[in-house]
Amino acid sequence: MFLAWNEIKNNKLRFLLVTGVLVLISYLVFFLSGLANGLEQLNREAVDKWEADGIILTEEADLRLQQSILSADDFDGNGVDEYTELTQLSAIASNGTEKENVYIFAVKEDSFIMPAVTEGNVFMDAGEVIADDTLKENGFAIGDELSLSSTDETLEIVGFTDKARFNAAPVLFTDRNTLETLQYGETVEEADDAVNAFVIRTDNLGRVETDEALQVVDTEIFIKNLPGYTEQNLTLTWMIYFLFIISAVVLAIFLYVLTIQKISIFGVMKAQGISSGYLARSVIGQTFLLSLAGVWIGVVLAVVTGLFLPAAVPVAFNYIEMLIYGIVLIAVSVIGAFISVQTIVRIDPLKAIGG
Amino acid sequence: MSILELKKVQKIFGSGRTKVEAMKKTDFEAEKGELIAVIGPSGSGKSTFLSLAGGLQTPTSGEVMINGTALADLAEKKRAKLRLKEIGFVLQASNLVPYLNVGQQMQLLNKVKKGNMRKEEAETLYQTLGIEHLLHHFPKDLSGGEKQRVAIAKALYTNPSIILADEPTASLDSDRAFEVMNMLKEITKEKQKATIVVTHDTRLIDDCDKVYKMIDGKLELQEKIHHMI
Repeated sequence: MFLAWNEIKNNKLRFLLVTGVLVLISYLVFFLSGLANGLEQLNREAVDKWEADGIILTEEADLRLQQSILSADDFDGNGVDEYTELTQLSAIASNGTEKENVYIFAVKEDSFIMPAVTEGNVFMDAGEVIADDTLKENGFAIGDELSLSSTDETLEIVGFTDKARFNAAPVLFTDRNTLETLQYGETVEEADDAVNAFVIRTDNLGRVETDEALQVVDTEIFIKNLPGYTEQNLTLTWMIYFLFIISAVVLAIFLYVLTIQKISIFGVMKAQGISSGYLARSVIGQTFLLSLAGVWIGVVLAVVTGLFLPAAVPVAFNYIEMLIYGIVLIAVSVIGAFISVQTIVRIDPLKAIGG
Repeated sequence: MSILELKKVQKIFGSGRTKVEAMKKTDFEAEKGELIAVIGPSGSGKSTFLSLAGGLQTPTSGEVMINGTALADLAEKKRAKLRLKEIGFVLQASNLVPYLNVGQQMQLLNKVKKGNMRKEEAETLYQTLGIEHLLHHFPKDLSGGEKQRVAIAKALYTNPSIILADEPTASLDSDRAFEVMNMLKEITKEKQKATIVVTHDTRLIDDCDKVYKMIDGKLELQEKIHHMI
């Protein structure tokens, strides 16, 4: 570290440039990871909130909640710890001034997927809903009367809950009677009893027994098949992985050029008997210092940027993920330095003696 | 026992038509307290001789012994260790690390080796060489002579038994050149080192105990030149 640190101190501009490149790359990595994470949340928050192990859909629905129509007595709870039914409807809700694409989930009030109210009250009477609190940020309030795009019926927000977005839209929670009224009007037969899915908790999904027409789906697989979810994620993840490679290559080239410049002085040191190992450790140590600094500044910049972004940009930082990405960035940088190490090992100390 | 001994050492580069015998079979010995000059025109094999003696390359045949250890028996790693312990190089291009100041040049040696000069010893050395006021200077701020003196300090700092100097007076004016040679002589006698100076500067050999001449890869012991005049 003695050599590494003194070299950095005496060639500030050179090493500032290297660190600058690393800062930009790590900034982009962390920002993209925040964006990926935010977009994920946007899609899956409501499902994560269930803390469910699986979901039962019809086989022909192809893992799409909307397309799965089954009867409330199609499943009798065989092989699960807990289960509850879920009915959904998507619509455009308007309070007169603001319009928003929403999902309306009908849940049983005593079930485990019933959201905890963070503000206001639980729905009691027909037409009352609990809304995701992003609606509050978008100008909706308790007491608002919501008109819907697909029906003449109206809903009233009586409470808010947190973290309840599904497939990029906020969720309104209500009971099944209200939802059926929206779907089929006041004249609906009680016996109709159609639901979209059963949400289940169990230790072993394989033990769950259902009709042949039904399919037990792991929650994670269900999420991955939300429209656009996997495509979005893969795109961003690919960009992040590519940035890892880019940072390794850029740093490797930089260090290689610096090493080539120092061949004669390394030769002299080797002639004196300073081991290749010591010189190699010095280059590795230098890379570690530079990448640590670059990554650290990148994290700070990304988090600060996140604070100043408008709410419309769905950036959510997952600090554990950032820690892992930071370690990976430093690791690939150090791997990039190994090209230079090879060069150092191959330097012939004879070079020190001119001719 | 000689501190440095070359027995029938020969070095051949290339093969077939491009074969060059850079050094013909040579015997050479250096004792403690001896200042030896190797002179000769450029391209005569002086540098080859120095690099063989310093263990920087291995001879095609023959044996190099440093302090009783045969270099051929050692792997490069061990040879590097031996160089660090026994040999102080004073190199032509001045062997200073550009981004370390004079004091740090010595500190670096402390990082890689134990048993270097103690503080007081080093301070005396700096005074002898007249560089005690330069410890915080970087090589780029030193004159040619100062650099060369720092290089000598660096070579001596590890308490080697052999000093190998490759054109230590190149790029110095005559006064400085004599000064440097005198210093090498003093240190050789005082600290009982074996010092070998490779040079093409025949003005500098008056004070040497032995003078060898290198001609076409053959090392010949010379009568002292001033006797001849």
